[in-house]
Amino acid sequence: MENILSILVFFPAVAGLLGFVIDKESARAYGITVATIEFLLSLWLWFSFDMSNAGMQFVEVIPLIPDIGVNYYLGVDGISLFILIMTTLMTLIGMTSMSITTNIKNMIVTLLFLEMTMVGVFVALDAIIFYLFWELSLVPMLYIIGAWGGPLRVYASIKFFLYTFTGSLIMLVGMLFVAYVYHNLTGVWSFAITDWYALVLPVNYQLWLFAAFFIGFAIKVPMFPFHTWIPYAHGQAPTIGSVILAAVLLKMGTYGFVRFSLPMFPDASVMAITPVAVLSLIMIIYTAMVAYSQKDMKQVIAYSSVSHMGIIMLGIFAMNAEGISGSVFQMLSHGIVSGALFMLVGVIYDRRHTKLLSEFGGLAAVMPKYAVIFGIMLMAAVGLPLTMGFPGEFLVLLGFYQVSPIMTILGGTSIILGAVYMLRIYKQSFFGPVTKEENKVLSDLNNKETWSLVPLVLIVVWLGVYPKPVLEPIDNSVKAMLNFMDGKAITQEAKDMIKVSTSNKEVN
Amino acid sequence: MENLVYIALFAPFVSSLFAALFGMSQRQVFVGIVASSLLAISFISSALLAIHLYTTGDVIHVRLMDWINAGDLHIPFGFIVDQVSVTMMMVVTLVSTVVHIYSIGYMDHDKSFNRFFSYLSAFVFSMMILVMSDNFAGLFIGWEGVGVCSWLLIGFWYHKADVTREENPSISPSWAANEAFIMNRIADLGMLIGLFIIYWNTGSLQYDEVFAQLPYLSETILTTSAFALFIGAMGKSAQFPLHTWLTDAMEGPTPVSALIHAATMVTAGVFLVIRANPLFSMTPEVSFFIASLGTFVAFFAASMALVNRDLKRIIAFSTLSQLGYMFAAAGLGAYWIALFHLGAHAFFKALLFLGAGNVMHAMHDELDIFKMGGLKKTMRWTWLYMGLASLALAGIFPFAGFFSKDAIIETAFNEGTYVLWAILVITAGMTAFYSFRQVFLTFHGDERYKEFGIHPHEMYKYVLIAMAPLAILALVAGFGMHQYEAFITNLLPEYHMSEHTHHLVVWLTLIVSAFAIGGILLAYVKYAKGLKRDTKLENSFAYKVLANQYYIPQLYEEFITKPYKIVSEIFWEKVDLKIVDATVDNIAKTLYKTGDSTRSMQTGNLSNYLNWMAVGGVVLLVIAAISAMLV
Amino acid sequence: MIGLSHYLIVSAIIFSIGLIGVLRRRNLLMLFFATEVMLNAVNIAFAAISHYYNDLTGQMFAFFVIAIAASEVAVGLGILIVLYKKHGSLDLDNLANMRG
Repeated sequence: MENILSILVFFPAVAGLLGFVIDKESARAYGITVATIEFLLSLWLWFSFDMSNAGMQFVEVIPLIPDIGVNYYLGVDGISLFILIMTTLMTLIGMTSMSITTNIKNMIVTLLFLEMTMVGVFVALDAIIFYLFWELSLVPMLYIIGAWGGPLRVYASIKFFLYTFTGSLIMLVGMLFVAYVYHNLTGVWSFAITDWYALVLPVNYQLWLFAAFFIGFAIKVPMFPFHTWIPYAHGQAPTIGSVILAAVLLKMGTYGFVRFSLPMFPDASVMAITPVAVLSLIMIIYTAMVAYSQKDMKQVIAYSSVSHMGIIMLGIFAMNAEGISGSVFQMLSHGIVSGALFMLVGVIYDRRHTKLLSEFGGLAAVMPKYAVIFGIMLMAAVGLPLTMGFPGEFLVLLGFYQVSPIMTILGGTSIILGAVYMLRIYKQSFFGPVTKEENKVLSDLNNKETWSLVPLVLIVVWLGVYPKPVLEPIDNSVKAMLNFMDGKAITQEAKDMIKVSTSNKEVN
Repeated sequence: MENLVYIALFAPFVSSLFAALFGMSQRQVFVGIVASSLLAISFISSALLAIHLYTTGDVIHVRLMDWINAGDLHIPFGFIVDQVSVTMMMVVTLVSTVVHIYSIGYMDHDKSFNRFFSYLSAFVFSMMILVMSDNFAGLFIGWEGVGVCSWLLIGFWYHKADVTREENPSISPSWAANEAFIMNRIADLGMLIGLFIIYWNTGSLQYDEVFAQLPYLSETILTTSAFALFIGAMGKSAQFPLHTWLTDAMEGPTPVSALIHAATMVTAGVFLVIRANPLFSMTPEVSFFIASLGTFVAFFAASMALVNRDLKRIIAFSTLSQLGYMFAAAGLGAYWIALFHLGAHAFFKALLFLGAGNVMHAMHDELDIFKMGGLKKTMRWTWLYMGLASLALAGIFPFAGFFSKDAIIETAFNEGTYVLWAILVITAGMTAFYSFRQVFLTFHGDERYKEFGIHPHEMYKYVLIAMAPLAILALVAGFGMHQYEAFITNLLPEYHMSEHTHHLVVWLTLIVSAFAIGGILLAYVKYAKGLKRDTKLENSFAYKVLANQYYIPQLYEEFITKPYKIVSEIFWEKVDLKIVDATVDNIAKTLYKTGDSTRSMQTGNLSNYLNWMAVGGVVLLVIAAISAMLV
Repeated sequence: MIGLSHYLIVSAIIFSIGLIGVLRRRNLLMLFFATEVMLNAVNIAFAAISHYYNDLTGQMFAFFVIAIAASEVAVGLGILIVLYKKHGSLDLDNLANMRG
């Protein structure tokens, strides 16, 4: 299986094409089968992954446009491996739990195409290929929101599309410029990210390029003040759309920072620590407060998602292995936990066709299983130790403490404010007496819902108790990257800021 | 021995899982029995470990597996059984075994019986992790774990609706649960910061490695880290200003109050200070702050207990007050005395709470002591237990509280902190007064409950028998003080009274005892013959301030909760929608409008287009010419 | 002696006549002629410069332009005939279907 990555990328797409000729009745089963195979393939990738190797593995290179150095170039390292597995997992779980019945065939095909683009983004090592998948991922999501969404779906989907598209165009300009500089310096064209890593750019170039990439990634993350598309997108998207959007699409932004911005522009990244951290802190505190004032359950989760992404951003710019590894781990944790929370909101929406908190109350008595799973996910979301939410958040804050104690204290308020809004929605919807007549007869989780949520609960607990199998490869790759950044940085302050872990220092 | 460690640790976990299996089904008595037996196994293992440690002096250190490894940070699941942790293990498992058995009787009419045992055992498991961990991160796991279990258990009767503060000061169980969780989270942030400071300065979170590094650290670092850790301790142990959650936590079932909010979880803060004693003994300012705050809280809480009418809240305030004593001792450097008081307090306070539970059970959940009285007739055993526990709490010879509390007050004298000493002595008098005010109002005097049509009955036999170990310990624990001192000072620093104090020790003891007995006598005179309400006193300003807990909960509501809500709404409605989002939409609208207004150029007339084309050509030519000239 | 500049001036004059025709005429057929005039003005310039540099490429291009112009006339006149049949006139002001 040398071409495992290509198979991973194109299998869903080919299966999606075939999906057009599948009978409507069996479309769902077909989709789940394909997603399962894809998930198993990604697990196979994990098992054959060499944990001790921090570099790129399963590399595939096929020249596409040799004249300008565009190659079909794929590979994974510890950082992308687990995001990829999470992508296939969440697609599978999302598809299993899906309650949509209209145009189910189109939905399955769309999801499979979306899966291709998402996997593609995380394995691409050529900037053009990366950009291709990055942009392509917008189309299926536009379609999912626009076709299956709520009353404001057209506005929401167009806002989502244009906003992120604008950002990525600026990023494309940045990419072209890097390639141009690369050509000027070496005389050959190349869009391979690994080639670009070797490029030592002057600081002012780095700053401009950092800014270009920043806009592309920051809108996707979404960072304050570019976050306003997300409440609409989540608010209008069907459950499956929100799950994928929160779990995977947002991670593309943070992944971009780790894959491009840090290793390519180490000096600019170090200079950007303070502004980025300030924006992240605004994200953490401000959106947590906005989440608190929401009246719609799904909007609370949507804003909380932004708040948690703030923690991830803070970790990336901690410039030490603790922070960045924690950040990558937090991406996974946020993907699974917020995905699960959106699915849980979907469960109640399917029953009551409303997401307004004031409509609920006392659900714990009516739907105990639902309440238990919601409770576990809530605790993971607020970062309780021994759930998956803790190691990431802890490491991020720990890592960032080295950069700035004051900012860490401010960022640490996330553990308080997160508890405030999460416990509020839990109390309002699950505790107290059952006030509404229609809530008294609600059925608890059905088999389909239970079997899609229980695996997530198990993962949340497993990776909370024993994160090592995931954290170790991430940490290896992150350490290697930091080591590389430290060697590459031009300015002294960047060298001072980037902390290479002692275990790595001994090797060198 | 290693196996014993794991049995002690995981038996409660197994118990919790077992009960959780039946969590959604009907009440099953065997769930309670199995859970209690597993807890008893945990207790026996802890006892065996204690005996082993006492006889051989070998500290047992085990490492289960790695937890978090990232960068240079290595956190294992490591557990240590040394003198301090074994003391805590004994206290925790003993009290929780008793409370488990007690709960079989107390919760027998509750339909969520099985769920209750699941939560209760989960709490014990978290508490065991907290006390047994060999590193700060493991302690933090337990720390948060007990927080969540406390949240679950306070909010156990979640179906109750919110009411106004006048009707019920804690509003509702779910409200109280959230308050407790969030307050603790505030403190946990402090604790996390403490861990970060420690990690970045010592490179580790293992106790032994950290303590070995301490002498090389600067004073600022030591002080800030000690202070940050203490903020964490303040939350868990409900010290001022994070104390309001503890009395509200009385919304939980009474066994929970006995186990979590009296004997074990709330003492975690004291445990942290004792555990990190090498750090705190190097930071005299922080230690003195701890002692002062502890003394203040001891007095502050006792003052509120003087006038309260709620049976459980009075005991909660006394818990708060006794925690203050423990912090005073720990802050003054007498760590082992703090730990001893922690243990003694756990026994008599759990006993007191369980007795209160019996009363509640008998009185159909009525808590107002003004509506009780004369219960001694029907509830002789409970009266005996509660009286005994109150004597211990008041510090009357020869009960456990006498020895431990007296030692703390002596310490305050010995350290030359006479102000603290005086406050602690006065507080001892107040403690005696309010505990016996409660005992007399509940068990003596006229039977005021009759007009409410309540027919009290004594608790089940087996429950009363289960409470006996606590009663015996409350009675005799004090006599083991010297053996315990010899045992514990293998690990904790010794504390010696000066020659001067030694001479005065008899007098000091007499003063404290005089205050305590005076308090009891005062309570006897005022309340033993029945309730005579003094409306003038009850309407006085001071009384109202005390009865309303110095208006602190209201203050928090007005100045923290409400503004937070208002600011949040402003952020959403004014900032997020009107500024941030509107800006984005306006950019889009501007583009759209520009297109709309320039649309009229598109006349559809070819010759117009050609004119425009010519104009464009000329403009381009001009630009080309100008740029050519400039170059 | 007639030099390059003379040819270029003639070319420019003819081009301007063509341009004015394009701008001022309302009849599509006339517009068409005006375009042809402009193309031929360019052809003159091409031929003249080609001669000046002794490079045949310019003249080659002039032939190319003539060929293009011829095909353009063929296609364009066809369209004009259809338009005339449809609207009964070739006046530009009447042809504003594309108004935005």
